[in-house]
Amino acid sequence: MSQTDARTNGGAPAGPSIAELMAVELARRLRGDDVAVMGTASALPQIACRLAKATHAPDLWFVAGGTCGVNPRLAPAVPSCCDEDLLRADTAVPLSDVVLLEGRGDVFTVFFSGGLQIDAHGNCNLVSVGDRARPSLRGPGTVGLPFLARVGRVLIYTMAHNPRTFVERVDFLGGPGFLDGPASWAAAGLTGGGPAAVVTPLCTMGFDSQTLRMRLETVHPGVTVHEVVEATGFEVVVPEVVPPTPLPTDEQIAILRGIDSDGLLKGR
Amino acid sequence: MNKVLSLHDAVERHVLDGVGLLAVGGMHLHNNPMALVREVVRQGQRIRRLLTSPCGAFNAELLIAAGLVEEIATSYVGFEHLGLAPAFRRSAEDGSLRVLECDEAYITHGLNAGAGGLPFAPLPAGLEVSDVWKANPESFRLVEDPFTGTRVLAGAPLRPDVALVHAAEADTAGNAVLAGAHFVDRVMAMAARTVVLQVERVVPTEVISRHPVGTTIPGFLVHAVVEVPGGCHPTASHGHYRVDEDHLRRYLALAGGAEGPRAYVEQYVRGSGEADYLQAQRAPASGEAFA
Repeated sequence: MSQTDARTNGGAPAGPSIAELMAVELARRLRGDDVAVMGTASALPQIACRLAKATHAPDLWFVAGGTCGVNPRLAPAVPSCCDEDLLRADTAVPLSDVVLLEGRGDVFTVFFSGGLQIDAHGNCNLVSVGDRARPSLRGPGTVGLPFLARVGRVLIYTMAHNPRTFVERVDFLGGPGFLDGPASWAAAGLTGGGPAAVVTPLCTMGFDSQTLRMRLETVHPGVTVHEVVEATGFEVVVPEVVPPTPLPTDEQIAILRGIDSDGLLKGR
Repeated sequence: MNKVLSLHDAVERHVLDGVGLLAVGGMHLHNNPMALVREVVRQGQRIRRLLTSPCGAFNAELLIAAGLVEEIATSYVGFEHLGLAPAFRRSAEDGSLRVLECDEAYITHGLNAGAGGLPFAPLPAGLEVSDVWKANPESFRLVEDPFTGTRVLAGAPLRPDVALVHAAEADTAGNAVLAGAHFVDRVMAMAARTVVLQVERVVPTEVISRHPVGTTIPGFLVHAVVEVPGGCHPTASHGHYRVDEDHLRRYLALAGGAEGPRAYVEQYVRGSGEADYLQAQRAPASGEAFA
């Protein structure tokens, strides 16, 4: 499949790129009563939030952590979460206040996450691969991911769907998913709801309600179930029927490109 | 009291060789006090422990690239969408840099504890399921909540000996205004024993006192004010100029070469005074004029 064009019908506007399709997938999972928060390098979820506000969820709130602009206008979207353009927004909150409210636990209902490693139970790692003292890959660090334990729904996204990223168990647990599965998840007694969805360039996944392991939901246009299984470093739960990911409508694409007017997602 | 000092004198007087805990302000590639950082590199002051905001960037990377940092307390050092920070990555991987693993909650609440004289910062329930505190027993403890008897995570207070912080403008007494985002710079300044401010311009007190509630850092916390227009380069200065991504890509290319990040340090920092550096970077290629 082409990296830049998820469909080939050549209609106008041109079909979505993979990253645009992913933004629409994330937007579908946002509701009008959500207050979403996101951090480092979060253009994709910011665009998803703006798209959701412009379509089915006008009352959604979202905080672009870093600058902490609240409902930033985007148009254009910017690649850095600390860009002062994100202060072209309804209002802004100091970062230290956002950190306070992340701890409160009942304010933010959606938190976006990702990782160098993402495991079968949705735990995320941005710290290190291998032994942390002498890692084979030192990542940047965990930032706010430990707060995932306290958030209503965690939406995970990554541009890298391969066996190095999708591993059975993270080498460093920075952002908690369903920990080691049902027993440890129940024992931890966390107030958060855990990961709700995982959106990748190949597919969208959820979690099996019994095992709390990642479960294939839909495959993106042109991707086969076999390709997803091969690209995933653990045994992903594959239901009997895996429908294709619904294509964005022309209206969704047009709105999205109005928000992402510099085309950050267009070529990805 | 006039606190304005030259770049050289501010660093020589306030950033002593072997400083115990040096904090650098700004977040990601924005509002990094790079002129102060470059001057620390020129003077060769070693840093026993460096502290970043929740997201350190070129501020931490350059000090590490210069071989000055023994340990770093951080929750992130990287170049965000431009990629990993090569000196941080390499020295953490080969063990020459000790990383005290932190997260955003601890850095923020730890600085608040430092600012308020709190003995420690209790952290929200649930954060103990992450591996962060297990990797950093020096900064974190599991303690008993005296009210409920449950086990809660606590972090040691963060009290930087010196904080290097950028502000858009300040008066000569150090009353400072941050244009744009505050990140955790205000909290960092409140927690530090000594605050050295880097500003785009020094303004009369009457300018500051027109909007006193807009003053982000009061002068009584500030020990030195250094005026360096363009001094955040190559990072952004909110209200003044944007990130010079071309320059940072040149850094990444040099750092990825045979000589590694030190080649950049020699060429752009040790081999050049601040005025010459800034003059050279005003090339049109950066696409942004300095205010």
